[in-house]
Formats: sequence, structure tokens, C-alpha cells
Amino acid sequence: MKYLRRIFLRFFGLFANSKAEAELDREITAHLQFLEDDFLAHGMTPEEARRAARRAYGGVEQVKQLHRNERAYQGLASTVMDVRYALRQLRKSPGFTLTAILMLAFGIGATTAVFSIVEGVLLRPLPYADPDRLVVLGDDLVGSHCTDCAQSHVTTPDIRNYMRDTHSFLHLGGYQRAGFELSSTGDPVFVDGTRMSGEVFPALAVAPLVGRWFTQQEDDQHQSVAVLSYGMWRSRFHGDEKILGTKILLDRKPYLVVGVMPRDFEFPLMPGHVNNSELWVPLSPQPEEFTAGYAASWNSRMVGRLKPGITPAQAQSDAQLVAEETMRNYPGFMRSLRIRSDVKLLHEDTVAQARPLVHTLLIAVATVLLIACTNLAGLLLVRSIRRRREIAVRLALGARAAMLLRQAMIESLVLSIAGGLVGLALAAGCIRIGISLLPETLPRVHEISLDWPVIAFALALAVLTGLVCGLAPAFAAIRTSVNETLKEGGRTGTPGSGHGRLRSTLVVGEIAVALVLLTASGLLLRSFEKMRQVDLGFRVDHTLSAFYDLPQKRYATQSAVDSFTDTLLRNLRQLPGVKAAGISSSLPAAGDGGGIAITMEGYVPQRDAGLNMATVSLMQGDPFQALGIRLLRGRFFTESDKADSQLVAIVNRKLAEHLWPGQDPIGRRLRRGMQETPTPWLTVVGIVDDVKLGSPDAGTAEQFYQPVTQQAISEGAFASAGELTATYGYIVLHTDTPPEQMENSLRAAVRDVDPQLPLIEMQTMEHVISGSEAPRLFNTVLISAFALIALLLAVMGIYSVIAFSVALREQEMAIRMALGCQRQGVLHLVLISAAKLGAVGCLLGLLAATGVAHLLRSLLFGVNPFDPLVLILSAVAMLSFALAASALPATRAAKIDPIVALRGD
Amino acid sequence: MPSKETESIQLLQGTLDLIVLRTLASMGSQHAYQITNRLEQVSGNLLNLNQGTLYPALVRLEQYGWIKGTWGKTENNREAKYYAITRAGQKALGEETQRWRRMAGLVEKLLVEEASR
Repeated sequence: MKYLRRIFLRFFGLFANSKAEAELDREITAHLQFLEDDFLAHGMTPEEARRAARRAYGGVEQVKQLHRNERAYQGLASTVMDVRYALRQLRKSPGFTLTAILMLAFGIGATTAVFSIVEGVLLRPLPYADPDRLVVLGDDLVGSHCTDCAQSHVTTPDIRNYMRDTHSFLHLGGYQRAGFELSSTGDPVFVDGTRMSGEVFPALAVAPLVGRWFTQQEDDQHQSVAVLSYGMWRSRFHGDEKILGTKILLDRKPYLVVGVMPRDFEFPLMPGHVNNSELWVPLSPQPEEFTAGYAASWNSRMVGRLKPGITPAQAQSDAQLVAEETMRNYPGFMRSLRIRSDVKLLHEDTVAQARPLVHTLLIAVATVLLIACTNLAGLLLVRSIRRRREIAVRLALGARAAMLLRQAMIESLVLSIAGGLVGLALAAGCIRIGISLLPETLPRVHEISLDWPVIAFALALAVLTGLVCGLAPAFAAIRTSVNETLKEGGRTGTPGSGHGRLRSTLVVGEIAVALVLLTASGLLLRSFEKMRQVDLGFRVDHTLSAFYDLPQKRYATQSAVDSFTDTLLRNLRQLPGVKAAGISSSLPAAGDGGGIAITMEGYVPQRDAGLNMATVSLMQGDPFQALGIRLLRGRFFTESDKADSQLVAIVNRKLAEHLWPGQDPIGRRLRRGMQETPTPWLTVVGIVDDVKLGSPDAGTAEQFYQPVTQQAISEGAFASAGELTATYGYIVLHTDTPPEQMENSLRAAVRDVDPQLPLIEMQTMEHVISGSEAPRLFNTVLISAFALIALLLAVMGIYSVIAFSVALREQEMAIRMALGCQRQGVLHLVLISAAKLGAVGCLLGLLAATGVAHLLRSLLFGVNPFDPLVLILSAVAMLSFALAASALPATRAAKIDPIVALRGD
Repeated sequence: MPSKETESIQLLQGTLDLIVLRTLASMGSQHAYQITNRLEQVSGNLLNLNQGTLYPALVRLEQYGWIKGTWGKTENNREAKYYAITRAGQKALGEETQRWRRMAGLVEKLLVEEASR
């Protein structure tokens, strides 16, 4: 008890110091008075008595110190004192303090903001229970060379087989994205949903907010039940709990709502999709999905939870056995297909696409922070040189070196912690802006926020910065030679060469790292420019597009579908201002639809040659003319290309060059499927120019086009009984007027045919393009912003160091001038010393830039990471900025009045 | 004077607290100067007690809650801080005295035994 009380008192003694000191003073004075009284009584004179009393008492200061040591924790007390001293010192030079704090705040703020984003995307666990056990299972289609294979897919029969026959999973299920027309609440709208096995919910192990999941049994029994997302529940059903047990209309078919998922539940986590799934319904595959073309469509994915103790590799070999059995049971028309099971962690699968960007960002951030720290170190160094005399005096008066060192450290710690706190505030703002700028391809982007681990990181960073930045100047400070400094008598003739070297090193380092970022930004800017120059292969202006998907309930027969399309096309063509109208199953720049296998006439497959894959688009009306896709040879499709006429196809240039290099493809024949698949031949009637299906910086797909009327027949064995074609498509219009003005006419034309059918994502092609360019634009803007910050900070650093050197050499300059040196000469002197530093920095920076170039490679487009133009331009820019930063101090040096300068001090 | 220096005794760590408590317990409340004088008087000037040495002990005891200091006036109308032993101090004095006795006895016993060997 007594110890507790004492610890408490000693701790608080730190803060009640002045009161305790006054009390002690009073007590000692009283004590001395008693001694003096005694000595007076012994017959001494008052003067003698006072001195005798002092002698008898001993050293008053020593006693006070003993008292203080006993009274309060002195180690802490001196820290408190040092902090107070540092604050006082910093208040005395507000310019320095403000610069240092803002510089660090800048560095730390940017670092923290980006770290938050990195943390949110890469390091934060998936929003599911025990995420390390969640895996995705899919097939690698051997020889498909597909571009989308970073994410492996499965077929509907695969889902059944894997779920039934694997033994490594606690829960395993398949899912497939699907769009639904929701028509029970007001105007019909199109919503994004997911068809999903009942097993997926228990695999993810996230409890519903209200209600329940649907079960595997309900899935197997084809029950029409639905689980809503939180967002959908709030926005469309006003968060009404009575929604449970009611029915909603999806594709004009009633579904019973059984549950609502919590707000942060999101599945699938799919990069590249703007819209998250708004509801989940049972997968309940239809019988035809196990046959024909469906059995060869890798359009679903699987997710599962591993059994305890099972590794992904073990699960993969387990799944491979099932895959082999699946292949043995392949129908004849797909017997040459080979699949390999692939099991990987869901986490890997989700963040794989964001990784290069995140790594680049980390480097950019590290660079900015490095520069900010270098600047702070430079500022502190300059400051300690300025205070050399003060430090020398204190050393001469007996201050210990360790104490001065501690004080310097505390000063820089105070600065860096203040900088860290301001930086945190800055980061909070930056994150808010950052999220609004981030491409939706970054998964879980809306979950990103400044959180506690991030704050801990920032403060740790601040303290580390303080320690590192404090050390060098502190050592420089205590190395001060007392005699030399005091003898100089204020004449700061030539500064110590050691300090000069340290300062030069800082400047050179700063220029070097800033140049690395500048180069990176230059390369990205050039990539962006190159992307803008890419020939997209279609018209961007005066083009309007919109997507529709006919609900099967209403359009149950092919004739119903065909009559809808015919009427719609007729209406569209009659619209005033429409030059051409058509419907296409795919839209350029909106995303690659994936490929199908094709075979050409006279092709003898080589062993292990792989599959010929191509993307197919199905056309109605005049979509080529509407999109402005150029015909190179032959003809477009016409009204006479009907189901019962000759089967025809139009190929793009890339496919033609691949299948028939150096030959005329017109009149050649190709067909869907593999060698063994019984499908009819299609005759090539035209060649069109290549079109970018994805973003302009992505590769060009091998593509062919077919009239939609011939789709079913051309699919041969792949076609399933009763399958409808042409039930969905992108309406494309070439307009006379600005396309935005046609939006209402288009809407009216559709409503005229089916008043309930919603149009999805009506947008101009300009808008579609800018959407596809957004991710690269984002990378470029972000890295360039960092480069700009780095450049600014570096220029500030260079300026402060050069300005200080000039100030130190004022005397020297004055003497030079007094001896006849021209002002021009002085100007050159300063600029040349800056240029030397700049040149060395640029050289090192270029070396470093080539060192990190490989990291950038995956982010570049059409530009070599060692592009000489960018490297040279960046170096020249950096050098001129360095010179510009030193121009101001140089002119100031040239304006020195030698008489005033020499008379000073 | 130098002879006196060599003969004087340096106090063992912690014993000063006990002596101060004992003094206050028997003399009633005292100020620092009085305590010093009393200690010198009792020890027959053998105790080399610097006037200021007392202060850390006083602050320590006060923080333990064993003594309490209050400002008052002497008969000569000079102000002084008088220290008085508290109830907790009385109790602690008993315990500390016991402890000291045991310790001193033990040391004495050891010295006698080792010397007689």
C-alpha cells in the first residue's frame, strides 16, 4: 500500500513541481535562519553568522537535488523538462517548425492514406469467418490460352461432380452471376444477382441479418426462394422486416424472400464488376444445363471451405481424380478437351489483379516518405549548425554530450509526432478522396477506412522518422569542437567539411529518389498517351448503346422473341436522327465475353497444339454500320442470311491472319467446336477490322461474327433442345445528333414494344470508352500525383540546403567580391555547385530507376521501362528543377553588399 | 577536527528513517533543525549528519504517510515546518524497530561466532 501511494505521489510530483520547489525553498530558508540565529547567539557578527550557517548547512543546490530525486521520478522529470525546452525552442523559430511539421505531415499523411488502402485491399482478411480455409476450385482448360485464366471457371456438370465426389471440403458449392428483371416494386429494374448452391452460405459462414439462408435441399428441389443484400433491402424495400415471407417477381416469376444478409456481406468478391450482387437465388440447374453446349461452357465458379488439416494442394489432387472421371464421361463431341483442377485460396484469387498497382503505390509512398525524412534531417542539420555556438557554450559550461544528444532527439521526436498527428488528419481526408477515385476493380473498396492498426503504423513511422532524423544532426551537434567554435567568434568563415558532405549527400539522395518517381510517372503518362492513340476499330462519337435481357416467362417461344426484335429494329430505324440501328451480343470496350473453341476446314491438329479459341458476336440489324466497324473485304450480313440459307460468318483481321495466313479468307469455312464436334460449316463472307473488346490497352481478341438467326443451327450438337436465341443484346444506334439527345427516343421505342422491359446501362460509346480507360487513368494520375509531391518536397529540400550553404558562405562571397569577383561570378559559383549535386543525384536516380523498372513493367503499355526519351526528359526536368531551386539563393548571394557583410558580426 | 571526521559513522541505508521516526515519536513534533540538533546531541557528535541530509528522508517518510509536516511559528516568532508522526508512522516505527533489532542481533551473533572460531 505505502509503495503504491508513494509511486503515485512521485509521479504526480512531476507536475506539481513549482509548488514543491517553493515549499522546499521556504523550508531551507527557515533552516538557515535557525543556524544563523545560533551562530549569532555564539557572538558572531551577522555577516560571519550567515557564512557560518551556509557552511554548516552544506550545498543548498545539492540538498535540493537530493530532495527532488526523492520527491519525484527524476528520469521522467528531465524528459518533461526537455520536452518543455524543445517546445520553447521550436516556438522561437516558427518558420522552421511549421516547415518541418508540414513536410512530415505531407509524407506521413500520404503514407498512411495509401497504407490504409493497401491494408484494406491486401492485408484485411476476407469478410467471412476463418478466411484462411476458403478456397476457389476451378478447371484449367488445357491449351485454351485464355486471357481470363487468372480466375478459373467450371461447367454446370463440374459443379455437380465436384460437390458429389470430392472429400476435402466441409462445404463446397458453385455460383454464377445472373441478371434479373425485378418488377414487383414500381418500375421494372434490372438487378445483379447470383445463382448459388445452398452449400455456399455455410462455406462462407456469415449469418444472415434477418431470416435465414436457403439450404442445399431447397436448391436441389428447385424452390423459388431468394436472399436479399442489405443494400437492396434498404433501398428497394425500405428496410421492412415484413419482407420475409413475401414474394418478389424476378424475371416475372415469384420468389419467396427468406433472408437478408448483413451490410458488409459481399459475394462474389469479383474484381472488374461495378455492380455487386444484390440478391442470391438457388443455382437449381435446369436439366438442359447438363447437356450439349452448356456442358462445355466454363461459365460458373466454385468456392469451398477445406476440412481441418487438408491443404489446398491435397484438395487439388482430390479434385483432380474427380476431373479425370468427368473427362472419361465427356460426350463424343468434346472428348479431346482436357481439364486440370485448380484449387487456390479465395484471398489470392480476389486480390491477384490489384497486386501490381498496390506494390507500385507502396514504392511511391516509400519514396515520398524518404524524401520527407531527408528534408527533415536536412532542416535539423542546418538548425544544429546554426546553433553551434549555443551548443559550444553549453558544452563549455559543463553540459554532458549525452544530455545534448537527448535534447536533440527529443526535439526531433516532438516535431515528428506533431507531424504525424497533422499527417493523420490529412490522411483521413485523403482516404475519403481516394475511395471516390479508386477504380471499382479494387475489391471491397468501400470498406477502406482509417483504422487503428493504420494509426499505430503512422505513429510508429513518425517516431522512427524522429529517431532517424534526430540522430545525424544530433551527432553533428555534439562533435562540435568547443574551442574552434568559440574562437571563430561568430565568423562562420568556412563551415566544417563534415557537415558540408552530409548536406550534399542528403541533396543527392533526395534528387535520386525523386527522379525514380518522376521516371515512373513519365513512363505511365507515355503509356496513357499510347493507349489514347490505339485504333479502337469502331466509332466513338454519335453512338448510343443500351442492354436488354428478355424475361423467359414472357418470351417463352422463339417466335415471341423474334417478333419483339423485329418490331424493335423497325421502330428504331424509323426514329428521326438515327442513321443505323442494330443489336449485337457484345459491345466493344465493355469487356471480353470469353472465347469458344473453333475448327477450320483442312486443319490437321498437331499434337499439343492447343485449341483455337475465338470470341463470337451475334448480330441483328445493322450493328456494324451503327458501331462504325470497318469492312475490309466481302460483305456485311443482310436480311437474306436466314436460318435456312447458307451459314455465314464474318471474321476479324486477327482471326483471318491466324487461320489463313497470307491467303484470302473469303469463301473459306470454319465451324464451332473441336475436330470431333459435329457442327455445320460456316462460310466466311467478309473480313472486318479488329475491334477492342476490352480496354484499349488490352490485347485484341480473335473474333468472328454470325447472324443471330443462324446461331442455333451452327451450334449443332452444342445446341440444347428448346434453347432460345437472341433473348438479349446491346442495342446500338448511330445518330445524327449528339447521342445523349436520343436517349428518350430509344427508351420510348422500347417501351412501345414492351412497356415493362427495363433498359440497362444506357450510355454513349464515349462513356463506355472512358469507363474502360478509367483504371489506367487512375494509375497514371495517382503515381503522377506522388511524383509531383516528391518533386515539390525535393525542390523544397534542395532550396533549403543551398540557401543555407549560401548564408554560411556569405563572408567568403563578400571577400571574393571585395577582391574583384563579379556578381556574375558569384552567381555561377552557387549554380555550379548546385548543378554538380544535381548531376550526381540524377545519375544515381537513373541507376535506381532502371533497378525498379521491372516492377513497373506490368503497368506499362506500349512503352519500354527503359524508354530513353522518358529517362532523359525526367533527368533534364529534375536537373532544371534543382537549378531553379538554387537560383533564388544564388541571386541573393550575388546581391550581397561586401561592405555590409564584412562589417557584420 | 580531522580526527572527528575519521571517527564519525556513516549511516546505513534506511536507518535514518528509523531514527527520525523514533525521534519524532519521543520528542513530539519538530522542525528539521531541531531534529538535526537532537540527533547530534544524542549521538554525541559521532553521527556525521550534514544538515541537508535530512530532507530526502523527510520527503520519503511524508510520502509513505508516516509523518506529516505543517507550518508553524517558533517561540522567537520564526516560521518553520513542524513534522509530527502519524498513526501509520507509529505502527511502522514498531515494525521497523522489530526488524532492526532482529537484524542487529543477527549481525552481532554472526560477528561473535566468527570471532570465536
